[in-house]
Amino acid sequence: MLTRRSAFTAAAGLATAFAAGPALGADKVVKVGVDMSFTGADSTDAIRMANGGILAFEEANAAHEVPGIIFQVEKYDDGSATAGQYDPAQAATNARKMVSDRAILAALGPQMSGAGKAMSPILSAGNLATITPASTNPDITDPKFAAQYRPAGKAIYFRTVATDAYQGPNMANYLAQPLKVRSVYVLDDSGAYGVGLADAFQKQAEKIGLRVLGRDRLDPKAADYAAVLTKIKSLGPEALYYGGVSQAGVKLAKQSYEIIPNVIKAGGDGMQSTDLLVGAGFPAVEGWYATISAPHVTDDPKLAAFIRRYNDRFSVQPDDFAVTCQVGARVIIEAVKELVADKREVTRAAVRDAIQAVQMQDSLLGPIAFDENGDLRNKIISVFQIRKDESKPLDSPEQYRYVGVAPSA
Amino acid sequence: MTTFDLFLQQAINGLSLGAMYALLALGFTLVYGILELINFSHFNVFMVGSFIALWTLQQFGLFGQETILVGLPLAGVLLVTFTVTMLATGVIGVGIERFLLRPLRDVKGPAAMITTIGVSYILFNIILLTVGADSKNFPNPLPPLQIAIGGAVLRLREVLIWIIATLLMLALTFFVQRTKLGRAMRATAQDPEAARMMGVEVDRVIMTAFFLGSALAGASGLIFGLYYNFTSFLIGFNAGLRGFTAAVLGGIGNVPGAMLGGLIIGLVEAFGGQLIGSAWADVIIFAILVLVLVFRPAGLLGRLAPNRS
Repeated sequence: MLTRRSAFTAAAGLATAFAAGPALGADKVVKVGVDMSFTGADSTDAIRMANGGILAFEEANAAHEVPGIIFQVEKYDDGSATAGQYDPAQAATNARKMVSDRAILAALGPQMSGAGKAMSPILSAGNLATITPASTNPDITDPKFAAQYRPAGKAIYFRTVATDAYQGPNMANYLAQPLKVRSVYVLDDSGAYGVGLADAFQKQAEKIGLRVLGRDRLDPKAADYAAVLTKIKSLGPEALYYGGVSQAGVKLAKQSYEIIPNVIKAGGDGMQSTDLLVGAGFPAVEGWYATISAPHVTDDPKLAAFIRRYNDRFSVQPDDFAVTCQVGARVIIEAVKELVADKREVTRAAVRDAIQAVQMQDSLLGPIAFDENGDLRNKIISVFQIRKDESKPLDSPEQYRYVGVAPSA
Repeated sequence: MTTFDLFLQQAINGLSLGAMYALLALGFTLVYGILELINFSHFNVFMVGSFIALWTLQQFGLFGQETILVGLPLAGVLLVTFTVTMLATGVIGVGIERFLLRPLRDVKGPAAMITTIGVSYILFNIILLTVGADSKNFPNPLPPLQIAIGGAVLRLREVLIWIIATLLMLALTFFVQRTKLGRAMRATAQDPEAARMMGVEVDRVIMTAFFLGSALAGASGLIFGLYYNFTSFLIGFNAGLRGFTAAVLGGIGNVPGAMLGGLIIGLVEAFGGQLIGSAWADVIIFAILVLVLVFRPAGLLGRLAPNRS
């Protein structure tokens, strides 16, 4: 049966087939490397996110938006089986592969900061700009660490999300006010993202007079967190803040629900994950707070058309990161379009400069512009809480209810 | 929570971990005692066991933690799941021995040990590639009963784990000490040559050791799932390494030693997490192992392995 969806897929497939085929050989192919953690604990999020970008490129190709240019996505997986999640060594290998493929003129990703730290020096040396839709560790774009993460000088690591320099501290503010928490225990998952996020949270918590009763580190490969949770129980904090991703997060949610059920629990965007809903499930995840470093837009009526197209193409509901990734892809498309309109040659260096100069007024995330380090100019941290909604699938991102914007630090 | 409550709670945590490590340690010890082979495939036989248990529980219509069973249905489901899981992992263990390790038995050097590492990775990747890398929500039909002892909480789950682990270890001790096949195992462990001359079927003894060790790994995989309510393709390395360490700590080849080693490692992990910090758990565990081996190279209860003349 030819449904509307299958017709759309068929049409899109046809369009891609034609576009990639030799029939339009006159078109220049611009390859875009998409690096995410497709293997491991964060794979579901990776696919959902990457699809936002893939859809943007497919639609630009189908509409011949940039005359004479065909975008071609090349996926890279920085997850590895032995790590069970992102693997910095694999990320570095992927960055080298991208740099050595001359047709790749821009990149999307990575999903994880630990991968980003490994990739950015290599991308810098190759002058290949990437736009990350999710990695939020502030060091990578911090000018203090420029020698380490962009040895060639220019910013090559752009973000469509704010960083943990805002995410952690703003959540500390949110716990203090409106949640009126006075004491907190801080955990991280030993990863680059988790440690940085927990550090930034802890610093702000101490500054605003939230008592930090202790700090410990979880081994994401260990199974048992009962010892540390029992210790936390004995200290009796009002809240627990966890900096980390879902591999340790799933076990933490399950075990903390049993040992410290009445403590307020919060995490960063690492806990904004359907992998958490599937792996830990209700009732363990009920009540967890999570943040994202972007405005919350999937409920915005402006996005209804995008959500419908995404749903038609991939048969799942997009989350906010599918949107940040779509916007990342749009930035690349706009940059290339700008170059073509100015009749300039589309090279890596030119694409990087064009991305740096992009001024989008009406992206799905609102206005988008980057500072000289590659960070977003306007930074918004949105807070969510998991509250069970029986009318929606229990593993759907809709189980995260938007509760507001976290106060700026 | 008073200091005593805290002590009690960490002791409960530690004993539950210890029971799991002890069951794993037995598998290493049984095989080492007879073949002087460190069987690394044991790590992931344990992991596969937890998935077999997961699928078996799902056959009963159990998903997540929403369905609670009591009384006879609970006992029945647990009995069937333990039996299926232990038989299945036991058969996997025997298969590994019969088809992959027996042909190498007379080969000198590390070939057999490397093979077990290879098998471990094969199992690991088969599960990764077939069921995926995300953590799985493990069904748990146990009622959430618990009693408070002061500020500490003892859950039905922990009591059940202690009972099941104790029963399995008693059964194993009885088997090794009192049955004919058990006696044959002990004889083979002492001197395989002499045992063979006295009419012991050494092949059968070795298969039995693999079957029993792997079945205990399966049981411990199921216990792992019931205790943590999750499983994943990754769980084998951490738990397996601790089980192996427990076996060495107690004296490899020595059955009571493996049990003692497991309990010690479990308790050290819990109290180390309390007193020093969970991040240091591995450092503490392995530092204790190194210290014990410096002063008692044969482990706490002494090493038992074949005399080769």
